[in-house]
Order: sequence, then structure tokens, then C-alpha cells
Amino acid sequence: MNIVIVIFKIVIVITITMLHVAYVVYFERKVIGHMQARLGPMRVGPHGILQPIADGIKLFFKEDIIPSNADKPIFYIAPVISVIGALASLAVIPFWEGFSIINLNIGILYILALSSVGAYGIILAGWASNSKYSFLGGLRSSAQVISYEIAMGLSLVGVMMLAGSANLMDIVNAQSKYPFILVQPVAFFVFLMAAVAETNRAPFDLPEAETELVAGYLTEYSGIRFGLFFIAEYAGMFIMSAITTICFLGGWKGPDFWIFSYVPDIVWFLLKVYALIFFYFWIRATLPRYRYDQLMGLGWKLFIPLTLVNIVVTGLVKIL
Amino acid sequence: MTTNEFFKKVFFIEIIKGLALTMKHLFTPAVTRQYPTEIREPFPGSRGLHALVRDAETGREKCVGCGLCAAMCPSQCIHIYTIEGEDHRKVVDRYEIDVLRCVFCAFCVEACPFGAVVLTDHFEYSDYSREAFYFTKERLLENWDKYMSGSKGREYFKRFWRPKSEDFGLSAVSSGSELQQPVEEKASL
Repeated sequence: MNIVIVIFKIVIVITITMLHVAYVVYFERKVIGHMQARLGPMRVGPHGILQPIADGIKLFFKEDIIPSNADKPIFYIAPVISVIGALASLAVIPFWEGFSIINLNIGILYILALSSVGAYGIILAGWASNSKYSFLGGLRSSAQVISYEIAMGLSLVGVMMLAGSANLMDIVNAQSKYPFILVQPVAFFVFLMAAVAETNRAPFDLPEAETELVAGYLTEYSGIRFGLFFIAEYAGMFIMSAITTICFLGGWKGPDFWIFSYVPDIVWFLLKVYALIFFYFWIRATLPRYRYDQLMGLGWKLFIPLTLVNIVVTGLVKIL
Repeated sequence: MTTNEFFKKVFFIEIIKGLALTMKHLFTPAVTRQYPTEIREPFPGSRGLHALVRDAETGREKCVGCGLCAAMCPSQCIHIYTIEGEDHRKVVDRYEIDVLRCVFCAFCVEACPFGAVVLTDHFEYSDYSREAFYFTKERLLENWDKYMSGSKGREYFKRFWRPKSEDFGLSAVSSGSELQQPVEEKASL
């Protein structure tokens, strides 16, 4: 009976995430369009509301072209690895009080591990495509992962110290008085930036850098395999926003007074996630892409020292 | 580094300014025109589809087949073939424009001493085949009937091709009473 409930939960979470992925793409095109004094998609359905569905159908039925010199098995599985890395992270995310597919005690470690698995998909895709642009994209991704995963993990250490647990449910419950952003602003900032780099979003979208590398690791991909990478990227964004919400913004907890106390938990959770996703689009529309050495410098010379100092200060404050 | 610079760097003042700008633009109206449903009026005198002027009196083309337009055309897309008509008159047999080669410079309109060829302001005539863009005389005359007939064509010539077209032959587009230039100058044309 237990397994049936788990499968049911999985189906619900995956379905909701996929719908989110589709409409996050639409939301992004609209937001960035309006920020550039354009309209974004307008033609499919009223205000282009059916655009993601049309795009999905198109991607699904497009020809799946495989370069003749590609390393076929790796080329086939690379997008799948990316998607699995992204979607498996959903298992530990608590959407509201007591609801997550599995309540893991090492939730944060699990998330960090799986977000690195997603990067493997990108690196393997770059390698297997046998194209210089893809290869450069893959290499960039690997270097980017090295410089950002560390800062990302370290920035969550402060949160774990405050909550006294790596269980995401416990972390949210530890924020019942105030969200951790108030006491960990530096960690929040570093995590936010590292999450942008982790999901390969502008201004850290060096692995796909379309002005330099055609489409980076995606260059040789088409049809549904390209679609899988796309899903992985946007699902990754959703998950990273969810983690930020859980670790710093108090997860599903909202203000507890007046009519706000009647709003269901999931609404608070999703509102915070949407705000963060909007932030991703916002900085994409604003900032130009970082140069490669600037990105590495930012990761190693600024974020890692900042998080280390943050850990030390958090520890000192906690002892005192 | 002064304190001011340090402050700016630590709190990302420049980046925040940029973010404020994009946020402001999010709430300003878009400038996009939804083209097929929202068609812009072409500016007066814009150069679009070609037409041969149909003489209101004779009902035939005004063109006499002198070939100046074809000689002037930089992309050489005008082809004129004349034959001998009744009482040894020169008659335009075929007048063809290969629109796909045309660069819409309107030199042909400027060159024509009779105001017989014109670029209308109609610009939506895309098609699927190349043949559809090889305009014959009949097609060009039709274009005139469709987009430039009546006073519109007269106005068009007067407003946009005045330097040469104002003084066309007296039976021509402009009414004779509006002639302002002396006769000698006309002769020099």
C-alpha cells in the first residue's frame, strides 16, 4: 500500500513540475519580451497561452538527427542523465508540511549530489557530439561546476548549522520564527548566484553561450533530445528556486496573521518559487554574459572566501 | 578605492540600476505591431508594387516604348519589346518587369518622360512561385487599376514625382492649368 502512495506522489509531483516547466518557458519569453519592449509569444491561443504546448508537440515530432561521428551511446544517454539529475531532486523537496516523496535525513547532500549529476549530462553531451562548439561548451560546464558547487555547498553549511539538520523538512521548521535570509544574507546571495551558475542561466550561461559557441553543448542536438535538455534546464531552475525557498525564505511558511493565515501552505511555497524564477529572468534580461575568467575569479576568489567567513561567523555566533 | 567606490562595489549599485531599468521597461507598453492583423498604413509615396499607368482617355497604357526606364534600370529588370502598329505607329507589344530583381530605386519612374510607369504604395504581394513575380504588361496595368486608379494616381504623381512628371505631355496626368514652368524648360527635357 505504501508503494502505491509513493507512486501516486511521484506522478503528481512530476506532472506538476512538467506543467511548470512548460509554463516557465512561456513566462520567461513573456517577461523578457516585455522587458525589451516586445510582446513575446502572441499567436498561439489568446496571448500565446498555448505556445508551450505547440512547442512541445513540435519538439516531440521533429527529426532526431545524430551526427555520424558522434559517440552514439553517450550521445543517446546524455540528455537522459540531465533530466534524471533534475527530476530526481524533486524527491526530497517538501512542498508543504509533511509532503515530500521521501523525507530524507540528508536532503541537502542528496540535492547537491544530483545537481552535479545534471552537469555530467552536459559534459557528456559536449564530449559525445564530436563537435568543437559542443566540446568547448562541455569543458566550460565542467570548469563552472567545479568553481560553483563548492561555494554552493558551503553556503548551505551555515543554514545547516542554524537548523541543526540536513533534512529539508527540519530546515523549514527551524524557520518558523524568521526566515534564514535575515540571519544568512551572505549565504543567500552566494547561493542565489551559484544556483544561477548551476542551472547555466544568464549571466553565467557559458556552456551554451549562443553568441560564442552557437549553442554550446546543445549544438548537435535536435528534436526530443534537445527538448530533454530544455526540460532539465527549466526543471533545474524550478528545483534551485525551491531549494532557495526552503533554505532561506522559510519554505511553505507564510506570515501568520489576519487573512494570511488562511492561505494554504503550497500557495506560499509556489509564490516564493515564482518570485525567484522571475528573478532569474530579470537578471537574464539585464546583465550581459560574464567572461570566462571573470566567472572563475568570481567563484574562487569571492564566493568561496565569503562562504568560509560566513561559516566561521555563524559558528562563533552559535557558540556564543 | 574611496569609500564611495567601495560602497558601490559591495552593494552592486550599478547592477541594481540596470535591474531597475529593465523593471521599468517591463511596465512600459511594447512597440510591437502584430503584423498580419495590425497593418501599418504605408507612408505616402513609399515604393511598392509596380504598375503601368492606364490612360483614362484611350484605356490603353501610356507607355510609348521609348525604353528609357529599361536603360536607366540599375538591376536591368525591365524588358520592353515594341512592334509596328497600324499607320506605322510604335506599339508596346510586351512590357515586363522581373520584380525579384528589382531594387525599388524608382529610377524608372524618374526617367519616364510620360509618367507611364509608377511604384504604388501597395507592398503585400508575396507568393509561392517565381513566375508570379514576372509581371507582364497586362498584370502591370491591372495593378494600376487596383491601387492607383482615379485621383489617387494623379495625386501620387503630383506629390512625389513633381520635378519631371509635372510637365508631362498636356493630355497627361496633371491637368494643364497647373503648369507653372515655362515652355523652354519643358523642351529641354
